[in-house]
Amino acid sequence: MNEFQWLLKGRCYKLGHDVPHPGGVIPNWLIAGRYLDPKDLVPHLFEETDPGFHTRCKPGDIIVTGRNFGMGPKMNGYIAMQALGLGLVCESMPFLAYRAAIGCGVRVLTDCVNVTEMCETGDELEIDFRDGFFINHTKDIRREYPPMPDTLMEIVELGGNAGWLKDWQEKRRAGAA
Amino acid sequence: MGMTAAEKILASKSGLSTVSPGQIVYPVPDWIYLHDNFVMTAKRELDALGIDTLFDPDRVMMTSDHDVIYVNERALERGVYNRKAARDWGIKHFYDAGRGGHGHVFPMEEGLVLPGMFYFDDDRHCTNVGGIGALAFRVGEEISTVLATGTVWTRVPHTVRLTIRGELQRGVYARDLGFKIAQGLKSGGFFGIDIDYRILEFAGDLDQFSLAARVSLCSSPTEMRALGVFFPPSEAILEHARACAKRPFTPVTSDDDARFEAEIEMDVSKLEPQVALPGGPSNAADISSVAGTPIDHAFIGSCASGMWEDIALTASILKGHRIASGVRLFVTPGSEQTTRRMHREGLFETFMDAGAIVLPAGCGLCAGGRMGPVANDEVSISTAVDNATGRMGAKSARLFLGNPATVAVSALTGKITDPRNHI
Repeated sequence: MNEFQWLLKGRCYKLGHDVPHPGGVIPNWLIAGRYLDPKDLVPHLFEETDPGFHTRCKPGDIIVTGRNFGMGPKMNGYIAMQALGLGLVCESMPFLAYRAAIGCGVRVLTDCVNVTEMCETGDELEIDFRDGFFINHTKDIRREYPPMPDTLMEIVELGGNAGWLKDWQEKRRAGAA
Repeated sequence: MGMTAAEKILASKSGLSTVSPGQIVYPVPDWIYLHDNFVMTAKRELDALGIDTLFDPDRVMMTSDHDVIYVNERALERGVYNRKAARDWGIKHFYDAGRGGHGHVFPMEEGLVLPGMFYFDDDRHCTNVGGIGALAFRVGEEISTVLATGTVWTRVPHTVRLTIRGELQRGVYARDLGFKIAQGLKSGGFFGIDIDYRILEFAGDLDQFSLAARVSLCSSPTEMRALGVFFPPSEAILEHARACAKRPFTPVTSDDDARFEAEIEMDVSKLEPQVALPGGPSNAADISSVAGTPIDHAFIGSCASGMWEDIALTASILKGHRIASGVRLFVTPGSEQTTRRMHREGLFETFMDAGAIVLPAGCGLCAGGRMGPVANDEVSISTAVDNATGRMGAKSARLFLGNPATVAVSALTGKITDPRNHI
């Protein structure tokens, strides 16, 4: 638990406003086909706008988006982001998209007003999801955004809903033993 | 500062004296609901974790409404699985195929879901219960967390209040108003607000709306991403609830000094019958703009238009008439209770005489067109909740939505027809 990386240092990958989950984040056929295995999903992250993205990103890289990112409650794209070790920082997300990202264990900040004006793709970023501190080392910009709520950090640390529920069950069993 | 009805319900179920928007709470629901398409997913997830007992099986309600008659092997397998799951989990409130109807309709008719109640659901159309003054939130796959632990993290939503002014004209129905409201709520719509993850609370001249009408009005805002819809229960609604209640309940309304994120209003007195043009329920248009469009296919039912009043209205229009040659009309009651009343009051004969096809209670065609789908290039008009491309079969079909009277009259004439001259 202590090793969980809440502070990410990596490159910025910037997207615009209104990027939908189907098509914009991951092809719709993977959503409709209910593919949930990271192995199936990772090769297709952002495939329709940037084929081969998964071969160029590195763990710790940060996706920075405009308003209304990821419309749609489905989890497929966030499963791929979590598997790749990426962070997500958005000007805004529909709530169910945010909920899906948390449920998949993605480090995510939302309601980061005008954050897309603070960075460009390739900039070196440093984000602490615990307190919302944002540093763009390339442009020497520092900002403070709303942090992740404590109660949701526990879910993300445990890898998302499935990990949280597994932990809950293990604790319950240990308590009963 | 007072609280809105939704805030009061969430506070009460979370064991708190007060809550405010943005706060994360853990409400313990009156019900935990899942429909037939979700049982397998949830059970397999819990089984894999070794979780074989639920938080409280008596709070769990399982219904079979998406696949009532199994039209493929997958549905058949799921039905078998669901029955075993209900046994394994010890679910008493399991409404198998033919034993209840649509899970977002019959619990309000049978006194299971009552004013002031709160529940978690796998499906977004749980917002229907706002019609009776209850609250339900969709949590999708996280319903398995609720089944196991009894709750799940919930961010208290903002509430927007919509005040209705005036009365609907004769021949104009709640679905018409719903399409118009959806048009106002969509991104860039005339209300100029964001309804994502908000509660839409109705106020104003509401006594004109029966339970069925209120349920209809809960539908379209849901398609616009409202988290919930809420009607303060009228005396008529409370009378219904008291008459059929199977559990104790405490009605809730917003405090006089509650804070609403936005206040919007609408004069409904001049509204004409609407249709939703193909593509989505927010594509509201006066019916005159498409009147005369030939149709091939019609459907009356769904969680938005499947209550007794909807079906009875349809029958009153069809009685003594035959639907147009070349048109097929499907009718799906929302509940077994309505089906029984249809038998008692001779509606089956009316529908059969008209040439309509009555399907068993449930979602009917609205569940992805599993039954009675549309063919390529056909034109359909229905009371489904959504008319996105491909929702009811072939992608090249054109899907219109209308109120039950519009659909019934259009089936008689064979073309989209204003119902006001036929009622």
